[in-house]
Amino acid sequence: MSKTTLPAGISDRIDPVTFEVLRNSFEYACTRMATIMQRTSFSPILADVLDFSNAVYDADLRLLAQAANCPVHLAAMQYSADAAIKRFPKETLKPGDVIALNDPYQGGTHTNDITFTMPIFHEGHLIGFAVSRGHWMDLGGGAAGGMSFSTHIAAEGLRLPPIKLYSNYEINEDFLAIIMNNTRTPHYIKGDLQAHLGALKSAESELIRAAERYGRDTVQLAMRELIAYTERIVRKSVEEIPDGVYEAEDYADTDGFSLDPIKVKVKLTVKGSDITVDFTGSDPICKGSINSPYANTASAAFYSLQFFLAPHAPSNAGMFAPIHLVIPEGTWLNPVWPAPTIGCTTLASSKITSAIWQALAKAIPERVTGSTCSECNWFVSTAVDRAVGRAEVFSDLPAGGWGGTPFNDGMNVTMDPLGNCMNMAAETAELFFPIEYESFDLRQDSAGAGKFRGGLGANFKIRYLCEGELNMETSRTRKGSPGVNGGGHSAVQRSTHLYPDGSRKVIGGLSPNGDWTSPLLSGHAFNNEEQFLFESTGGGGWGPATERPVAKVLDDVLDEYVSIDAAREHYGVVIDPQTMTVNEAETARLRAIMK
Amino acid sequence: MWRVGIDVGGTFTDLFAWNELDQSYKTAKVLTTKDDRSRGVVQSIETAGIPFSEISLLMHGTTTATNALIERNFPDAAFITTEGFRDTIEIGRQHRKALYDPYQTKPEPLIRRRNRFTIDERMAVSGEARRPLDRDEANRIAETIAARGIQSVGIGFINAYVNPEHEEQMREIVRQHNPNAHIVISAETRPIFREHPRFVTTAIRACMMPVMTSYFDRLREALAAKGFGGTLLILKSNGGVMGAENAKERPEELIESGPAGGVAYASYLTRTTNFRNIIHTDVGGTSFDASIVEDGRGLITRNYELEWEVPVSVPMLDIHSVGAGGGSIGWVDEGGSLRVGPRSAGSEPGPACYRRGGTEPTITDANLVLGRLDPTLSNKFDLDVAAAEKAIDTLAEKIGLSRLETAEGMIKISCEAMAQAVKGVVVARARDPRDFVLASFGGAGPMHACFVAQAMNIPSVVIPGQAGVASAFGATAMNVRHDVEAFHYVDLPSANVDELNRLYDELEAKGRERLVRDGISDDNVEIHRTAQMRYVGQTYEVDVDIPSGKLTKAHIAEIATAFHRAHEQEYGVSSEDFPVAFVALGVVATGALSKPPVFHFASTTADTEKAAARSRKVYFDGRWLDSTLKNARDIMPGEQIAGPAVIEYLDSIAVLPPGCDGTVDPHGNLIVSISN
Repeated sequence: MSKTTLPAGISDRIDPVTFEVLRNSFEYACTRMATIMQRTSFSPILADVLDFSNAVYDADLRLLAQAANCPVHLAAMQYSADAAIKRFPKETLKPGDVIALNDPYQGGTHTNDITFTMPIFHEGHLIGFAVSRGHWMDLGGGAAGGMSFSTHIAAEGLRLPPIKLYSNYEINEDFLAIIMNNTRTPHYIKGDLQAHLGALKSAESELIRAAERYGRDTVQLAMRELIAYTERIVRKSVEEIPDGVYEAEDYADTDGFSLDPIKVKVKLTVKGSDITVDFTGSDPICKGSINSPYANTASAAFYSLQFFLAPHAPSNAGMFAPIHLVIPEGTWLNPVWPAPTIGCTTLASSKITSAIWQALAKAIPERVTGSTCSECNWFVSTAVDRAVGRAEVFSDLPAGGWGGTPFNDGMNVTMDPLGNCMNMAAETAELFFPIEYESFDLRQDSAGAGKFRGGLGANFKIRYLCEGELNMETSRTRKGSPGVNGGGHSAVQRSTHLYPDGSRKVIGGLSPNGDWTSPLLSGHAFNNEEQFLFESTGGGGWGPATERPVAKVLDDVLDEYVSIDAAREHYGVVIDPQTMTVNEAETARLRAIMK
Repeated sequence: MWRVGIDVGGTFTDLFAWNELDQSYKTAKVLTTKDDRSRGVVQSIETAGIPFSEISLLMHGTTTATNALIERNFPDAAFITTEGFRDTIEIGRQHRKALYDPYQTKPEPLIRRRNRFTIDERMAVSGEARRPLDRDEANRIAETIAARGIQSVGIGFINAYVNPEHEEQMREIVRQHNPNAHIVISAETRPIFREHPRFVTTAIRACMMPVMTSYFDRLREALAAKGFGGTLLILKSNGGVMGAENAKERPEELIESGPAGGVAYASYLTRTTNFRNIIHTDVGGTSFDASIVEDGRGLITRNYELEWEVPVSVPMLDIHSVGAGGGSIGWVDEGGSLRVGPRSAGSEPGPACYRRGGTEPTITDANLVLGRLDPTLSNKFDLDVAAAEKAIDTLAEKIGLSRLETAEGMIKISCEAMAQAVKGVVVARARDPRDFVLASFGGAGPMHACFVAQAMNIPSVVIPGQAGVASAFGATAMNVRHDVEAFHYVDLPSANVDELNRLYDELEAKGRERLVRDGISDDNVEIHRTAQMRYVGQTYEVDVDIPSGKLTKAHIAEIATAFHRAHEQEYGVSSEDFPVAFVALGVVATGALSKPPVFHFASTTADTEKAAARSRKVYFDGRWLDSTLKNARDIMPGEQIAGPAVIEYLDSIAVLPPGCDGTVDPHGNLIVSISN
């Protein structure tokens, strides 16, 4: 760790100007990797949805900089890179080696996320690593996307231990053949591999260029300082949180088998510039596929805190140092083989975030926001075109809203904190798959009410023009996302099957009669002209809804974000449906009662 | 007769004009009249002393549309779309700008939700109508819009790029209820797939039509009143110009109307120098722009976003901007690192040395402290050196460096940020910076250009003779240009050449029609064909040049090869393993205008007394060095100026660090060879 002799803390061994220049150069290397992934990958989940992350590490395999499209990859990539180097030690590596793995029990999280690690050398000396991680559409298993929601990890697709997929920049054809044989989408594989390799090589040339220009020693010094720099920012920010113990809980609706919700329990202990995140008391390993391997739980804990500790600091190993984790083995947040894990990055992570933010709300209520939708709502579907005799696989993740903040309403329909993926454009989907998008619009009254209300969720609806099978993970179907500081809950999420004769059936969540069905779907069959409707929820509210200015409530009603009924019920604002104006007297009376 | 270029910027309205007979030229600079920018245009012509009746072509770059959009300063508009897609223009693609900022918000939608209507209709991707337009509902919507007094209506239906019938029917119904409204449909605005960019671009056209119609009408009236009888041509984002009548109807093509002029100047340089590939850079008070000119053509993108998730999906010059300029402020962040920008002191209060109440250290202050700026700016100003020193000292104390180290560090960091923006265009499009020359425009450009080039390994820098009025100069060198595109998705083996020929014929006819409307005669029309292509399964396209004339089967293999090459050029990879597809066909229809003469901006009469080199101490690399001091008025063609040197132009200052030597070419461009 660096000495901090200068007033602002930058070491006396590297001048602040060179430091700043190299800091930008490391970040640029990652940004460039992301651009290459986006522009050259073949599967829509990478190219269109951007479910990937890229990072550079120092020679000691400490995270230096990251362009994480998915925060849930933030620390998970570290565990993957560690596992890769444990299997292939540094001293055995050569330029052009690339180690690949996805095994949830050897540095991975769920089988879809495959991680590529490449050493970078300058004049024969190891100066760092480039790591690229992407969500691959399908690596086999009992259902498309590995989403079989069964009870053994073997049902979730090909599990790659760390393998040396490339030597001297050349692919190992045997490994490639195995991968191609174990996927429903072999046509994407070569293109996606080319994109990952292109990203790794661009980082390699960027780091080598920096070493040539500034000297290897200076670059390595800057790397160390960069980590210390982030650590300083994070520690300072932790110090601003009052010392104490803050606890909270959140829940997954089910693992697909249990009738009871599954608990995340978190205890934050803040002392000086350190935080301990303790998950003791969380439920035991689940039978179903939502278990979260250590790497995933750790990642979720780090990125959840990042939002309130150091949102603008470079994401690197310095962020990890002040945060200490206790994740008891045998809980669903630190499972052991052969527990299935396919839902960890999406379903489990988002509940961990919500629990941590609720705990933070007890420590720094004036800064925390309401919970987000707290779901990824990830689905993978096949569409079988019998005429062509081929099953297409497509995937999307219709987002919900974000929580109200101390300063403004939450964002409408925005990917949950765990990722930053884009949805599929309707016209892209229709051009390439035998389906039609029927809607992706804002869902009225889906957000938690508040002085600053949550952002709205969406009505997402697709029509099958063929036979199809849907696999989906989601939750928040029993109860919506919580608000903070007196803000309200959001609505529940729901999956519905619509038939051409106008009838409908809830296939995930609460039916009108109060029955509840598990929202984890695997192989749910649709016929031609049948539709799938998913209603996502908004974010929780911030502060009491009765403190929201009446004029803003009226605006929300005129824009149909909020209904007239909800304006009365949650905000105590009475609006005449004929004139669409506020009944001031009635509003004053109602608000007085509600307060 | 005069050809006049006028660029209306945020602070100044610049004019450059040349006489078509004797090839003399004039320049002028007046303050931009923000309440009504057309007044500044008239004033600049008056200041230059050009008789209005003697102007043949007036080429005008304007940021009026861009400003109105960013400020959301336009009359309420309405949008009508397919049921289920009311919020496409608000939701965007559901991603966020800052990964970890819990308080962030999305840009305000261009059209409020209450004015966005949906209707039952459905077009299949095949172009067949699955459900007809509900005419009763259409009438009710049209009535409501008319009753609300809304005069701009955008119509965007799903899959309308395949079949526009429903949009056209809807337009007709709106017109019946609201005969004078501006009504635009997505199939005409941008007949390409992906609903979000198409709808937003359509909404932008609807919102901007009243604004730009009124602006161009006002301008035309003001000019006519002074006796102007020439042709008014407007700079557009694709690097060409179009007539004001076309511009009123296609305001979404005006977003980069300002910077486009500078890029045209860079293209002009490829004609008058030996440089074929130029990185065009422009630095003002708050921002740095970079773009690429290859073989005289500006590189085009279709992925421009006005704001986060607010795409303007028309072919535009690919210009990258970062917040780095003369006013950028130096600061120390919470982790103790020295940072510069993106916050800027702007023109109010401005740098500390401006004596307008600014106290924070800016790049301009740093340049002053280092002796690179003369405190009197050639007797035009009286800059406050003590205030600049004081501002820099505050920062120096925080990071433990000396005043001079801090000032030089600020410049270095800022130039690195500019270099990142250059990388944003050059490396992101897989070009090698060593194949380029960096051309530097704008008031604060030439002061930093050599450092930016050093950071990027760019071998030379060119500082053009008219860097200070670059956009106005470039405007006079532009051609009339229309980019016309049509969606046509087909993989290459299935492509039908008759169909391709038919589509290209249609596109050419459309392009010609627009040029004729702009006053171009048919024999001055040049047609250049392109296609947007991709590997089957990919999501992004690259532009490929397509042979002219009648296409035959034999051309298809040739086109595939051209695609692989273009993909390799853009992304650094290509593979014949993957099948290739057309996504859209395009035609660039150009109406050639006579080119400006080759100007000689350098001094031609030797005035040895004036030209005698003076010198001043300037701080470089930790030392004060005696540096040559020159006035640009006095430099002669062929003259060599060895760095360290400072050359003072009318509107800017060029700094040559030690080892970087300049030569003045016959046209007055200063060509600097960069040493690291």
